[in-house]
Amino acid sequence: MDLFIEQLMNGLAIGAIYALITSGLSLIYGILRILHVAHAGIYTIGAYVGLGVYSMTGNLLFAILASMAVCSILGILVERIVYSPLLKFPPYVPLIASIALLLGIEEVMRLIAGPQIHGFPVSLPLATIRVGNISLSSALVMVYIVSIVIFFVLWIITSKTDLGLAMRAVSQDMSIASAMGINSRQIVSLTFAIGSSIAAIAGILVGIYFNQVYPTMGAVPAYKTLALIVVGGLGSVPGAILASLLLGIAETLLIGYANIPFPRDALAFVAMILVLMIRPEGLLGNIKKKI
Amino acid sequence: MKVVKVLLSVLVVLALFAGTALAGETIKIGVLAPLTGFAAADGESVLNSVNIAVDKINASGGVLGKKVELVVYDDRADAKEAVSLAHKLIGQDRVVAVVGGSYSMPTRAVATFFQEAQIPFVAAYAVHPDITKAGDFCFRNGFLAEVEGKAAAKVATDMLGAKRIAVLYSDIDFGRTLSKGFKEYIDTKTTGVEIVYSKAYPFKEKDYKPYLSEIKELNPDLIMVNGYYFQTGPILKQAREMGIESIILGEEGADSPKLVELAGPSAAEGFIIVTNLNRDDERPVVQEFIKEYEGRYGIAPDMVGASAYDALTIIVDAIQRAGSTDGKAIRDAIASTKDFDGLTGVIKGFNEIGEVVKPVQVQIIKFGKYRYFGVVDDPDIINP
Repeated sequence: MDLFIEQLMNGLAIGAIYALITSGLSLIYGILRILHVAHAGIYTIGAYVGLGVYSMTGNLLFAILASMAVCSILGILVERIVYSPLLKFPPYVPLIASIALLLGIEEVMRLIAGPQIHGFPVSLPLATIRVGNISLSSALVMVYIVSIVIFFVLWIITSKTDLGLAMRAVSQDMSIASAMGINSRQIVSLTFAIGSSIAAIAGILVGIYFNQVYPTMGAVPAYKTLALIVVGGLGSVPGAILASLLLGIAETLLIGYANIPFPRDALAFVAMILVLMIRPEGLLGNIKKKI
Repeated sequence: MKVVKVLLSVLVVLALFAGTALAGETIKIGVLAPLTGFAAADGESVLNSVNIAVDKINASGGVLGKKVELVVYDDRADAKEAVSLAHKLIGQDRVVAVVGGSYSMPTRAVATFFQEAQIPFVAAYAVHPDITKAGDFCFRNGFLAEVEGKAAAKVATDMLGAKRIAVLYSDIDFGRTLSKGFKEYIDTKTTGVEIVYSKAYPFKEKDYKPYLSEIKELNPDLIMVNGYYFQTGPILKQAREMGIESIILGEEGADSPKLVELAGPSAAEGFIIVTNLNRDDERPVVQEFIKEYEGRYGIAPDMVGASAYDALTIIVDAIQRAGSTDGKAIRDAIASTKDFDGLTGVIKGFNEIGEVVKPVQVQIIKFGKYRYFGVVDDPDIINP
């Protein structure tokens, strides 16, 4: 039983990490209906900026804030320069641009910081929690705390503020929202800024959790998060978070209880195929709203 | 106009002669290494080390009165890339011998081409058995995965006295063969030792907690961990974070200063590996190399670079003894290498398949650095 609980906690942490990356992507899909694959590139940049600032200043909080600022600006620029001119084309055009952008970011990071894996040596001011035989390491505790705070803030923004209302209006119909006096361009930019700054936090968190920052760290999240927003219901942030948590737990339990070296990344796609067959609108998606 | 033409052709002919004369002044040796891609840190170590070797050789007058010139190509640890570079080394650069400074997959792919071209090929540290099976022109200066597995099992049981052992290995050729050798030794050579856990993890795994939670529950005396430093580093870190206190034993894949960075200094402390570089070996060849390496590059050398250094010096030593750059003559000289004063130990020689015979080194991390812990030289383990 102890083992099961410990595995559940391990899985929940991995799920929370997926959720952090996926929630920003889902937010952006909801408002522009584009698959922002380069989101994983922003996440990579977030990790590098965080690591760079942290090694220069030794202040983690400052590193997180700097990384969030850099990634928000990059997110806005990507939307203005790359996606905005391509929105008049079929959806695969911005998708291809996005893939190219991700590959470009990976190569630029390789040229700047080198191909090696860098460690992210942070000593966390958190203690290991021990309950009986179960111990939760400080890294796990950090992931729980950070993700709960982020999801709470995200929930407040999207459902309790005027900004959230405007975002929902723009996501339902951009031209009508504009006609009602909402500055749609500004809302789109703000959405990219919020999504990208969450990606920055996710990048730093993953860097610390695995003690690894490297140019291709976004490659796996890039396609896994696409499967996750489909499973969760396209454009539904709570759905994306739920799908991520479930996937993290499922992966961990499968590794823990199956005796085959299972490539965990395949599971997301198995889940996606099942969801498309059984409930095409996704776990929490509402297909009627989108039409 | 005619005069100009004649002059031009004379110049061209002269230039051609000059070209061959210049080319004839050096002895070209090829090096394949992963300078970019996921294995770039290993490629860099290879490049740094062969550069030290070649400078040392040329400073003492080269070989057969000529300077040694290295032709280094980046194979990105990719078999397809390596094959086309091998053809380039054979056809265009006309190298007399080649150092295989890359991983098993690319090294295995190119070995047959060098065999066909009758160019002696010494794999520095790649572990796959097929490399030397390509033919009599192919040699290996590193250990076979199985040899290393058996040596690790001896260390685990004899030196560390472990009775209950967990094995966690990478689901690639290297990991499977190594853990097979490890288990074989436990099954046939020991009594009262039990393998309580054995599981493979996929090569790209980042989160080892699901495996480690299971191992923690079993509380073994020792965990045998196979993998490269970017795998064993995080395994050490996550295991210690989870409060696992078992001894952790690894192998040469973890022999890199990067391991301490990725595991963190406190989790890395006390980690033991079987490898082929002994940093505390007092022979001058070892101490001079370590000093030179740290002076030039500002980091500690590792087993990958040391193996490449040896592969190159074994070839040069063979050329010297053969007194010729003929492929067959060099091959025969490499095959008859005896008690060579190598960086990775005194190399007793190569067996008929082309496998090196030398002791396996055991190192332990003390204060963030690999130090001497022991040596395994039982003939039935190190003779493949």
